Amino acid sequence: MDFVTLGGNLFGTIPLGDIVLYVTPLNLFLFGVLIIFTLLIAISKTETQVEATLMKLSNTNVKVGKSEFKQRRFLAVICGIASAGAMITGDLFNFTLFMALIGILNIGIVSAVKQTTVLNSAYQYGLIAMMCSLPLFGGAAIILASTGTLSLFELSQLPPNPMVIFGAVLMLLGILGESGVAPFFASKAEMFRTPGSPFIVIIHLSSLFIIVRAVEILLLVLG
Amino acid sequence: MADILINVIIAFLAGSLLLGLHRKIMARVQKRPGPPVIQHLLHSLKFFFKETAFPKTVSMPFYIGIVFILAAVWIVGVIVGPVTKGSLLILFGVYAVYKIVEHNAGSSSGSPYGKASCVRAVLSAATELPLFAAVVLVYLKTGSMNISSIIAYQSVNGPLILSIPLAAVMFFILLLSKSPYSPFGITKDKALISGFETEHFGLLRGYIMFAESISWYVMMWLFLTIFFPPLSAAGYLIGMLVITFITAFINATTPILNPNHSVMTQITLGAVCFIGTLIMIFI
Repeated sequence: MDFVTLGGNLFGTIPLGDIVLYVTPLNLFLFGVLIIFTLLIAISKTETQVEATLMKLSNTNVKVGKSEFKQRRFLAVICGIASAGAMITGDLFNFTLFMALIGILNIGIVSAVKQTTVLNSAYQYGLIAMMCSLPLFGGAAIILASTGTLSLFELSQLPPNPMVIFGAVLMLLGILGESGVAPFFASKAEMFRTPGSPFIVIIHLSSLFIIVRAVEILLLVLG
Repeated sequence: MADILINVIIAFLAGSLLLGLHRKIMARVQKRPGPPVIQHLLHSLKFFFKETAFPKTVSMPFYIGIVFILAAVWIVGVIVGPVTKGSLLILFGVYAVYKIVEHNAGSSSGSPYGKASCVRAVLSAATELPLFAAVVLVYLKTGSMNISSIIAYQSVNGPLILSIPLAAVMFFILLLSKSPYSPFGITKDKALISGFETEHFGLLRGYIMFAESISWYVMMWLFLTIFFPPLSAAGYLIGMLVITFITAFINATTPILNPNHSVMTQITLGAVCFIGTLIMIFI
């Protein structure tokens, strides 16, 4: 499978040593949206969440404290940059590294929250992410072992063999768990109950965009 | 540039009128007179001239920026779809951003209704599965993600709705879930007032309605383009009217499902259709 069929015309490549970034309309769109969101996150304040007070006729305002705000904003911005990197990388191993980094940062963004339900959800998601890092890296390693390259340019030119297909299936399993999409999204939904809207947006955005990019990469490898 | 502008205006006007028609049909099925067909368009335009108020609990400038992103991303949808007939994956990306904006527009306001809508939007990520599966199945059948190539494939090999009907059913489920008052519309359940839109007023609501109109048009255009043989403008119009009528009839006669049932129904239908289509392609 070629890049043009999947993502549109190839605008160009950015070779950084052995790391080659490439730009098609698809990659450009995904990268641009992530950068815009990251900038928006970097300059935004958090909302004040209004909740009903138990046993009283009043509301409770839940705010994000200053130190927690700084920590979460930093992690959210790094997550945005890592996700943007995953969108334009031309190297399979870099993609898996970005993917693992996004999984860790997603947990980090909500780990400073002092709500039991949110922490439980983050813990469950963390367990799934850790377990899925094995098939994620294992799949990439099998593809490297069977083809001798991790460059998406070269992988797209090679015909798939059974080991490449096996590696791609393992990678898909790893990506589903690491990004926490269906069927694992149920473990992640409670993470979104916490205040800090600009930070939790990147958790969902990175997961969904990683899936779009993963589809492109897997079709390139298997095509 | 003129092409883009014309297509965006067509998408907005056609989408608004079709959503107005949707509301009218629902009302007539329920034996109510209903508002005029032009009402949705008038509401959209009216909000652009209303005073915009900002709740003091909101996350600034995120609360404003996310609405503009929503409008911008559907303009990209028009460019990638009707204007350039580009990659299906980009349109999947556009839809993904729409989901993000849907849940974060709610949570950025600080309102408990918006927050509940946000959490439900995360759960309703299940609606992306049928779309994702349909895109992959179309690719497996045609060998391309490019909409122009898919149109060319259908003009030679016949419409995809005949060769992979279950993939079309999956896509239709997505259309149904995005239609107003859908049984799967858990993010805009009336128990949550207006869901993620509850705390967006004036100009911001105008942009949200502008984006909703365009999204309805683009999603129907995409369905008709990738599952039916090359259509004329009249063909698209008839197709969109038929889809609007069917979804309005279903929504008028079906109660909204609770979040768990909504998610499980969509996942089950998606899985059955996906496996069924794979069997049809490879066996």
